Amino acid sequence: MISFRNVKKSFGPKAVLKGVSFDVNDGEVFFIIGASGVGKSVLIKHLIGLLYPDDGEIFLDGEEVSRFDEERMYPVRKKCAMVFQHSTLFDSMSCVENVMLPLKKHKGMTDKEARDDALKRLKQVHMREFADRFPSELGDGMRKRVAIARALTLDPTYVLFDEPTTSLDPVSARRVDHLIRELSDTVGVTSIVVSHDLVSIFSIADRIVMLYQGQVKMLGTRDEFRSTPDPIIQQFINGRAEGPMET
Amino acid sequence: MAALAAASSASPPASPGFVHGLGGGLLETAQTAGGMTLLLVRVVSRLVRLQFDRQELMRNLYKMGVKSIPIVIVTSLFTGGIMVIQAAPIVKRYAAQGLLGWAAGFGTLREIGPLLTALMLSGRVGANNTAELGTMVVTEQIDALRALAIDPISFLVTPRVIAFVTTLFLATLYADALALFGAAYAGYGLLDVEPRVFYNGLTSGLLTLSDVGVGLVKSVVFGVVMSLASCHFGLTVQGGAPGVGRAVNATVVASAASIFILDYFVSFSL
Repeated sequence: MISFRNVKKSFGPKAVLKGVSFDVNDGEVFFIIGASGVGKSVLIKHLIGLLYPDDGEIFLDGEEVSRFDEERMYPVRKKCAMVFQHSTLFDSMSCVENVMLPLKKHKGMTDKEARDDALKRLKQVHMREFADRFPSELGDGMRKRVAIARALTLDPTYVLFDEPTTSLDPVSARRVDHLIRELSDTVGVTSIVVSHDLVSIFSIADRIVMLYQGQVKMLGTRDEFRSTPDPIIQQFINGRAEGPMET
Repeated sequence: MAALAAASSASPPASPGFVHGLGGGLLETAQTAGGMTLLLVRVVSRLVRLQFDRQELMRNLYKMGVKSIPIVIVTSLFTGGIMVIQAAPIVKRYAAQGLLGWAAGFGTLREIGPLLTALMLSGRVGANNTAELGTMVVTEQIDALRALAIDPISFLVTPRVIAFVTTLFLATLYADALALFGAAYAGYGLLDVEPRVFYNGLTSGLLTLSDVGVGLVKSVVFGVVMSLASCHFGLTVQGGAPGVGRAVNATVVASAASIFILDYFVSFSL
């Protein structure tokens, strides 16, 4: 279980998170939504120590992790993988080498063992035939699938997806949605997904939290979001340009 | 009194430009020196525990060392030739052909070899290091490494520092030999000094192994500082692609300045 407790973060004079608190239950697909710049990606980066909060606490399986130094953060990162918005594959390595890297580093596999394992994982995301291509030779969707395969190499309990379907074609986007749902249903992985993609949100989310002006605006299920009369939430989930929402 | 105060407050305040600029420059220099020192401590702590990626080390040795061989060959051969051209009038005037080997060797081994090799590699390898690491920072690849529980200092920085120092050390040795070879044949072509006579000048006892040692010590000192500077500026890039450009520029300038300053101090102390 993951708990954010009154997390605050500012960048210079700009307060991005002004006291965010919510829990994420084990095994669920949990979406964080909100306007651009509201601090969704900033929030999930706090969980694995890529950013540190100015105030507040973050609990992972009952352990307060927000003040861990870099070395103590490594076990947290093995348990809690992240797929970045822009895939962030290593340019100097082929796709299969990208997936092999954590296997060699953390599972002590030889080159051959790691390659065999990596190829299996690439097959699961339909990227087996592009294994020896370099990231620069692939499209956004393909890179994202390789990034997902790489993130799953250490068999994490939690996976953080930062806008996994942004810039993907609709078919690739739905494949990624399907993969996220499947991870939760079959392996029990807890997924925290930062997204603007309304189709994804309303097709695979178990619960959703909406951030607005640095705070939690609403936390609930898909049905609760659909049925709420709150005009700001209705404007956001219906994608209307006109309304009370300040961006 | 009131009129005096009013007049004093009406006069324009002293321009803070110079002091502000000086203070800012000093702070920036202190920040860079501090950052490089911290990086050195981190690299040494990984080295002591043998925590560095061997494959990355081999990749960097190839990229920095093997790929630099052609440019080292060309510049070293011509450097040796230039030494002889500069010495030619004096050698002719005093018929000091026997000293040509010593003169070329002294300058090359102690000074020109390590200095020019370091300057060449600062442009070729140092700038490349900064650009590569800087691009990894702005594209979040460093964060991705950290998210995979892989230490960027062990994986990226330490192998680069080892490879840079090793490359510069070996390249200096290689450049020394090639420059002397170039000087010997330039002496033969321009001054009719037989390579055997040139060789005798080198080994007559005026030059010792310590002259080679001084140059090699310099190459190691230059290598440590240049590699740390290139990694430091790469890892602290801010501001996207223009930031990478600024960092590369800072690396080249800082490396060149450091080479000359350190050369002075090492020459003075050895």
